[in-house]
Amino acid sequence: MAKEILKITGMNCAACSARIEKVVGKMAGVEHVSVNLATEKATVVFDPDTVSISSIVEKIEKAGYGASSFTEKTMVDEDKLKKEKEIQTLWDKFIVSAFFAVPLLYIAMGPMIWWLNFPIPSFLEPMQYPLNYAILQIALTLPILVAGKNFYTDGFKAIINRSPNMDSLIAMGTSAAVLYSAYSVYQITAGNFGAVENMYFETAGVIITLILLGKSLEAVSKGKTSDAIKKLVGLAPKTAVVIKDNKEYEVPIDEVETGYIILVRPGEKIPVDGEVLEGITSVDESMLTGESIPVEKKAGDQVYAASINKNGMIRFKASKVGGDTALAQIIRLVEEAQGSKAPIAKMADIVSGYFVPVVFVIAVLAAVAWFAAGESLVFSLTIFISVLVIACPCALGLATPTAIMVATGKGAEYGILIKGGEALETTHKIDTVIFDKTGTLTEGKPEVTDVITVGDTKRNELLQLAASAEKGSEHPLAEAIVKEAEKEDLEILNIDRFEAIPGYGIEVEIKGLNVLLGNSRLMDIRNISRTELCDRSDILAGEGKTPMYVAIDNKMAGIIAVADVVKSSSIAAINMLRSMGVEVAMITGDNKRTAEAIARQVGITRVLSEVLPQDKSNEVKKLQAEGKKVAMVGDGINDAPALVQADIGIAIGSGTDVAIESADIVLMRSDLMGVPGAVRLSKSTIRNIKQNLFWAFGYNVIGIPVAAGFFHLFGGPLLNPIFAAAAMSLSSVSVLTNALRLKSFKLLG
Amino acid sequence: MKNRITVICVSLVIFGLLIYTLAAIDTTDVIGKRSIGSFNAVLSAMPENVAEDGALGGWAITSPGGERFIWSRSSDPDMSYDLTLEFDSKPFLDAGLNADMLPEGMVMGEKIVIVSALDGGRPTDPGAASPLELFREIVRSKREYINYHAALDHFGIKIGNGNAFEWGKDIGANDKDIVFVLDPAVFIDAGVDPSKLEGWLYAKVKTMDESGKPVEVYKFLKPYNIGD
Repeated sequence: MAKEILKITGMNCAACSARIEKVVGKMAGVEHVSVNLATEKATVVFDPDTVSISSIVEKIEKAGYGASSFTEKTMVDEDKLKKEKEIQTLWDKFIVSAFFAVPLLYIAMGPMIWWLNFPIPSFLEPMQYPLNYAILQIALTLPILVAGKNFYTDGFKAIINRSPNMDSLIAMGTSAAVLYSAYSVYQITAGNFGAVENMYFETAGVIITLILLGKSLEAVSKGKTSDAIKKLVGLAPKTAVVIKDNKEYEVPIDEVETGYIILVRPGEKIPVDGEVLEGITSVDESMLTGESIPVEKKAGDQVYAASINKNGMIRFKASKVGGDTALAQIIRLVEEAQGSKAPIAKMADIVSGYFVPVVFVIAVLAAVAWFAAGESLVFSLTIFISVLVIACPCALGLATPTAIMVATGKGAEYGILIKGGEALETTHKIDTVIFDKTGTLTEGKPEVTDVITVGDTKRNELLQLAASAEKGSEHPLAEAIVKEAEKEDLEILNIDRFEAIPGYGIEVEIKGLNVLLGNSRLMDIRNISRTELCDRSDILAGEGKTPMYVAIDNKMAGIIAVADVVKSSSIAAINMLRSMGVEVAMITGDNKRTAEAIARQVGITRVLSEVLPQDKSNEVKKLQAEGKKVAMVGDGINDAPALVQADIGIAIGSGTDVAIESADIVLMRSDLMGVPGAVRLSKSTIRNIKQNLFWAFGYNVIGIPVAAGFFHLFGGPLLNPIFAAAAMSLSSVSVLTNALRLKSFKLLG
Repeated sequence: MKNRITVICVSLVIFGLLIYTLAAIDTTDVIGKRSIGSFNAVLSAMPENVAEDGALGGWAITSPGGERFIWSRSSDPDMSYDLTLEFDSKPFLDAGLNADMLPEGMVMGEKIVIVSALDGGRPTDPGAASPLELFREIVRSKREYINYHAALDHFGIKIGNGNAFEWGKDIGANDKDIVFVLDPAVFIDAGVDPSKLEGWLYAKVKTMDESGKPVEVYKFLKPYNIGD
């Protein structure tokens, strides 16, 4: 069996991806096919002896879509350009469309809004110059129809292929309106000036314009979805310095194989995963782990692709290259998670699968029945068009995007960026929230929490000496000590000698004093007694703090403890989630003791500690297997797989770009109150969308039988297309008005 | 960006040309063209009922029931009125009309007359003095007095205070070819009981008030079919 990824073009909705899956799935030799609408890719598993990839491509093209072999190069470069061009084209079409739709709406609807007294030139008065009025509307409508021509080409093609989609609904609805309007214009030219009241050009024009706006926004969102993967791919360096026969060669990353010896200088990215052979350095793995503190690496330690070598030169042996690196695995996880289908897509499937054919059949049957009953052709045609016009999916199309538009705008006001309707739809179902620790529940920036002295040493003296010793260091723990000293206006002293002791700490000479600053092992190798401070040190560690010993002239002087402090909003956010019935958990790579210390502070009882970066998504999976709807809140690249695996990924705005791109929701203010806020906003939005859909469907359910002349059989009214259009407009107004109610949403209730 | 500017510029030019063209032509003018043609059809359908009126001074069209619509014949400044509706007073008296309660001069012998002067003076006498030419002159210079009702496909000329004379755009195609329309308020105030008024319909009709607001109001209507 072979596996091939194809780039698909021309898909508009879930019905399109379903159609491709159906036609390819039926081919002999194709074992599995999965089409991802968001990434516009199809993964095909097939038997190359039975079927070729070219015949699969041909089959897809025959179904009305484009298909081509997919490569990373295509995705990152050509695809990016293509996407940008597509977005630009859609915006151009929308602008042209809106440019003509606004005066069209003004001319068509202005006279109906008599109380606003919209001025209309006398030569365009419909009751005085109906043909002028009609010609102007045609002139304004034509450019809009040209701008929206793809709806017609794709929509009717889909009908011909017996797989109607949303474009089919738009094409049929607006075509009915345009054709009936054209017939009315013909009536006017024939002297039936009353037909001036039966034109619906503005209906078609405004629908096309609004849908183009929606499509443009959708294209932007789609582009951002794949940006996450592009950014991850972009993290990996393009070349590596390989040592062969004691000579350095710079080779493309694709040519690096396992077993190669690779040299990495300070400031360079580590190209592939491997094991350090020689050299000592600290490596910034924050892009992968989210942890801001660099990790020290020496011979025997593992290094990972895309992490940054900070201060030492190392040689390492490549152990995992290409698709096997930790980075590649994260990329794969993100892609797989994005492949899952959204619940909203199911709604689109149902609508496109049944709505159009059913409406069309009703329209045809009603028209034929009336004609057979002896009514005129014009009467039957009126029935046919009335049914299509009232069933035009305008309100149905607006129901979800308007609510989402208002809700996402409202969310943005509160610093909650929600990436599209799917995220909003899913968030309201969340019953479990997992918080990453560092940078999420905590500030992610260590601070001095305790300064403990022994003997005659004064607190300020200890802090001053430690800060002076650490002044030149960029290590986050050192920065915390210097910052604390500056906060207390302590003078930073000049040092006479500095020596870094890798893995232990530093030794400096300041004003004739020998100062040692480092971990317990440093004190032990210098035979400095820690007895007095052992218990305090353990307590501090138990509280999740990092204790650093300070010795002056080989005598223990004290401890400076540094810790990542809990955010002020963490406790309130967790309490609020609990009050909403949401279970809260914490996940971290830290040891159990530190993790539990932080969890106690914020009031979390379910703690998932010592979890390796690559296992975070497995923990999410486990909870999902229990039937939970899980939201993951994190900020690091190591959180990215978990963010996409979770039903909802929530990234902190101050976190890494990849985490932000992988998430469904981004909290711009790093304020965790945004988490319960997002859940509440989602609940309000979904309630609003359901109300909108009720109105949108309600008008159709009531309007279609009336339009088909059902009540006319019993002497009831016959729905003139003008009332059909009015009902359709009313349904849109109801939907829009209802959606706008979301503007009054309050984050904290 | 360049493409977008080009498209917008071209669109603006096309739009401007279209507006200019539409403003320049009047062949699609329903009031200016078709109202005259259809009024002529009414005149042609009953030539024996169109005559000069010596007493009120104008051209008059007389319905089969005897009601008359009279329009100004000349620009003689001594003429008091430009448009007139005249009809028998008997049905109204029989329905309870107290003639003394009507405005002075409205009852002339056995007739009731409703008169109206055109705002800003009457049209210039075109000289030809035929009924149609004079009507055409009214349309040309006072078109705001003429309206077209799309839903019922007829024209009307306003004779003030909600009174009007209406005629179908296509004689024969309309339900009613000519209609005398009276505002009932003044008659009801003078004692007329609409339910007892013979020969006139008392019905609600859709129209627009001065602000353009669609309204439904009661009218006394006397319609006739004069076409084949």
